[in-house]
Amino acid sequence: MKNVKRLAFLSLVLILSFSLIACNNTKSSKNESGGKSDGKVTLNFWAFGATGYDKLIKEYEKEHPNIKIKFKTSENAEHHDSLFTALSAGTGAPDIALIEVDQLDRFKQAQDRFNNLFDLGAKDVEDQYLDWTWNNGKSVDGKFLFGLPTDIGPKALYYRVDVFEEAGLPTDPDEVAALINSPEAFKTAAIQVKEKTGKPFVDSMEMAYRAYLDAAPEKYLNPDGELLIEDKDNYVKKAYDFAVELNKAGVVGNFEMWSPEWANAVNDGSFAAELGAGWLKGWMEGNAPDATGKFRVATLPKEFSANWGGSYLTIPSETKHAKEAYEFIEWLTSPENQLKSFKSHGLFPSAPSVYTMDDFKNNEDEFFGGQITSVVFGKAAENISGSGYKGEKYVPINNEILTALTNVQEGANPEKEWNEAVKRAKDLLSR
Amino acid sequence: MKQVGVKRFSFSRIFMYLFLTLASLFSIFPFYWMFVMATRPSAAYNSIPPTLTPGNMLVENFKKVLNQIDFFGSMWNSVVLCTIVTVVVLFISSLAGFAFAKFKFPGKNALFIAILVTMIIPPQLGLIPQYLIIAKAGLLDTLQGVMILFFLNPLGIFLMRQYISESVPDELIEAAKIDGATNFKIYRKVVLPIILPAFATLGIIVFTATWGEFLWQFTVLRDPEMYTIQVALASLNNTFKVDFGMLLSGVFWATIPLVIIFLLFNKLFIASITEGSVKS
Amino acid sequence: MVFAKTLYPIVYLKRGVKMASLKRKHLSEEKKDMISGYLYISPFFIIFLIVGLFPAIFSMYLAFQKWNGFSPMEFVGLSNFKVVLTDPLFWKSVYNTIIMGIFGTAPQLIVGIILASLLNQAFLRFKQFYRVTIFMPYVTSMVAVALVFSVLFSNQETSMANYIIGLFGMDPINWGTSEWGTKIAISIMVFWRWVGYNTIIYLAGLQSISNDLYEAATIDGASKFQQLRFITMPLLKPFILLTVFTSTVGALQLFSEPTVFLGNNAFTRNEAMTIVMYLYRDAFRLQSFGTASATAIILMVLIVIIATINLLLTSGTSLRERGERK
Repeated sequence: MKNVKRLAFLSLVLILSFSLIACNNTKSSKNESGGKSDGKVTLNFWAFGATGYDKLIKEYEKEHPNIKIKFKTSENAEHHDSLFTALSAGTGAPDIALIEVDQLDRFKQAQDRFNNLFDLGAKDVEDQYLDWTWNNGKSVDGKFLFGLPTDIGPKALYYRVDVFEEAGLPTDPDEVAALINSPEAFKTAAIQVKEKTGKPFVDSMEMAYRAYLDAAPEKYLNPDGELLIEDKDNYVKKAYDFAVELNKAGVVGNFEMWSPEWANAVNDGSFAAELGAGWLKGWMEGNAPDATGKFRVATLPKEFSANWGGSYLTIPSETKHAKEAYEFIEWLTSPENQLKSFKSHGLFPSAPSVYTMDDFKNNEDEFFGGQITSVVFGKAAENISGSGYKGEKYVPINNEILTALTNVQEGANPEKEWNEAVKRAKDLLSR
Repeated sequence: MKQVGVKRFSFSRIFMYLFLTLASLFSIFPFYWMFVMATRPSAAYNSIPPTLTPGNMLVENFKKVLNQIDFFGSMWNSVVLCTIVTVVVLFISSLAGFAFAKFKFPGKNALFIAILVTMIIPPQLGLIPQYLIIAKAGLLDTLQGVMILFFLNPLGIFLMRQYISESVPDELIEAAKIDGATNFKIYRKVVLPIILPAFATLGIIVFTATWGEFLWQFTVLRDPEMYTIQVALASLNNTFKVDFGMLLSGVFWATIPLVIIFLLFNKLFIASITEGSVKS
Repeated sequence: MVFAKTLYPIVYLKRGVKMASLKRKHLSEEKKDMISGYLYISPFFIIFLIVGLFPAIFSMYLAFQKWNGFSPMEFVGLSNFKVVLTDPLFWKSVYNTIIMGIFGTAPQLIVGIILASLLNQAFLRFKQFYRVTIFMPYVTSMVAVALVFSVLFSNQETSMANYIIGLFGMDPINWGTSEWGTKIAISIMVFWRWVGYNTIIYLAGLQSISNDLYEAATIDGASKFQQLRFITMPLLKPFILLTVFTSTVGALQLFSEPTVFLGNNAFTRNEAMTIVMYLYRDAFRLQSFGTASATAIILMVLIVIIATINLLLTSGTSLRERGERK
């Protein structure tokens, strides 16, 4: 009995003391956030992935002692979902949010929950950025700017020197670009690699599909929300058919991107080439250390030249410090700071003036055996003419096609899979 | 159950130990693998065949974790959160369980069924309205905002009701009433001592579930200073260069307190059993 | 302090109890019990009113609207239900959920009882060790579980799972995308994770049975088996019913395990999509909250039906017994 009394008393004491502590914790953080006591402005900044922005933030805070920036990173999916939740509920949104380009159209639906950066002075910096990436950040009528572009993902051909050599292909980047200068030449080289080495040319169906898809001026939807993939000769079907063709030729591997098997394949050189963007190198460095020095990059044929990835810094309308937030994001995406992000984390600059800077032009990359890869990506970036409207249901529809392709690789009938994927896409849209 | 005259090395005993040992190995293997990964560099995660022996990077990987996130701070937040939730849920559940088990009042069954219904709505859908309530109440980025949802634990009431109705004899309650005790006194002096094993069981379930929950804590706690341990660990996982050694080291060390808590609760469980069951 | 709000129920409770005891002389015992009854369940219901009721009503309301999270809602009557009920993917997810429930959840109840009764033996050595290890899976974080199982069940020929089935002469299976491979892998993951949980609930149940009953029975000459049949099982039945109910709800609401196992493919491929995953996809990937809410309501109905069936199946004669005891 005594034990019970003691237990009850103890727990009561615990509850009270913990509640006091919990209250203290929240009191102190409440004082900081959004408080203008003593003139300090606190900005909440949500991002995802590996941006390396925390270092730049510290720099900014030093130069602007009245500004404190609370930086929160999470995984891509969770980040966008929690941003969505906050915007939908109309409360709790951050002052600054990084949004990935594929997700941007999903949030463009909520135009009223964002600040129009044109109202904050963004017109002044328009010339700093590549046209096509700037335009992506605008609303369809061009009057509303959602975000400033941070980085982009110009694609190039990553290839394994050892595999190419074994297959009798040239290994110097310029020679490779000269040889593989069209989709047909791409396929020919792929077959040659298969015959001489037995290894697949590309790692997965997704890669084979993206070759044409990422470069397509029209993808699944048009700005009016109409599904385009049922039209005769649409770009998506072309990309799909190319992937099916490569699969039939036996040059496609089945290493699913981002899986441990894929990491091992990159590490061991189990496939020859990758149509990747600049940021891919950062991933390879960390997850496939044995591949150092074994890859080079060459310019892709113009049919495949495209953008993959990139993000925008947006300012939700809930913020009470739009001006300070804008000043910060303008600073963060300025050419000088984009160069810093590039050097530390491989975020490829969206500001072309960076491409002419010495640091950029002379950046020898050890991972690529000393090749100055930035120039290759820079050229690729400038060759991109546009990136095709995506639409808010881009990601789910894309996933349906990828599912179809995976099934094809496992032996399903390509036409049947295509038709079913189209049917599923139509159903998605009707919701 | 008393075993009189059972041979020490009968087949059934051997089989029993074998079964239990296999079950234990099966259960603990992933945890062991986690420990191995916590002591190895990141590349070991992808190795084929899988690495099965510990390495020597235990301290190093953990240091990396400490550099990336506020490990002890977020762990403390989790401890506070889970402790308060557990105590409150035990209190609320045992009270309500007692009422449902031993009192008569109109609408009792209907109310009990209403509790069943609350269990059925999937949490994923309730997320946005729940977020809205907490946000409007100004409880975002607070542990209190997180706690409130966890206080709603129908399982606790079921378990308590069942346990109390079975192990608290009506005669004992009658006797106490004759002695002039109020209902609350009966609760304190008669019911509580008997249901300690159930407290231990429910306590460990609630503590563990709260400790391991991610979605709601991630939704409410956006300020990194207020992170609980699961949310903090998740932020380790968002770089291109995932360091699996570091990640699993964080996960491993974050699990140790739970094991300790379990051992503590278990002691309570066993102690209350050996104290003997109901004696009039 | 905002936190004070949560202390109010406790304060009211204490006041209420004091009031009740003051009025004791004037109130019959039944009245007293009634007041206590309502008082003691009130903390739970107060919290329910705050954070449980509003989301429930909101979800029901949403089921009849078309809403993408941002724009104004549009009333569409029953059409959301029609969309969901005519969607082959929905029915596939129902099928998946039930299969994984049978393979992953049902075995837990049987194995759990066996484990609990073994752990309850007085003579058992290393009790503490077994208890701790069998509960470990429940305590291991989802992140680690996901990583471990995705490596064990990877599609490679050299993965542990493929190695083991290779010993039986089978070809390697694509665990991530095959119809049965995914279901089996996820079922094993669910079983592994939850069997310990059910075990300790049964253990608690076994502990609630007084030793006196067994002693008396032994004195009366009852065999161990007879004791099992006539003392243990009937008194454990309510706990079994409890776990059957919670496991049914848990199995039908399966979400975390398949999601972390399938990773990027979780909301796109249909081999292992569960009902709640279907719902989540509607809400957070397709921005279709109306159909997601309609799915939730259909799921609720499904749970009520299946749980009732399961409980009836399990209880058998127990209902009659319980009727007598009460």
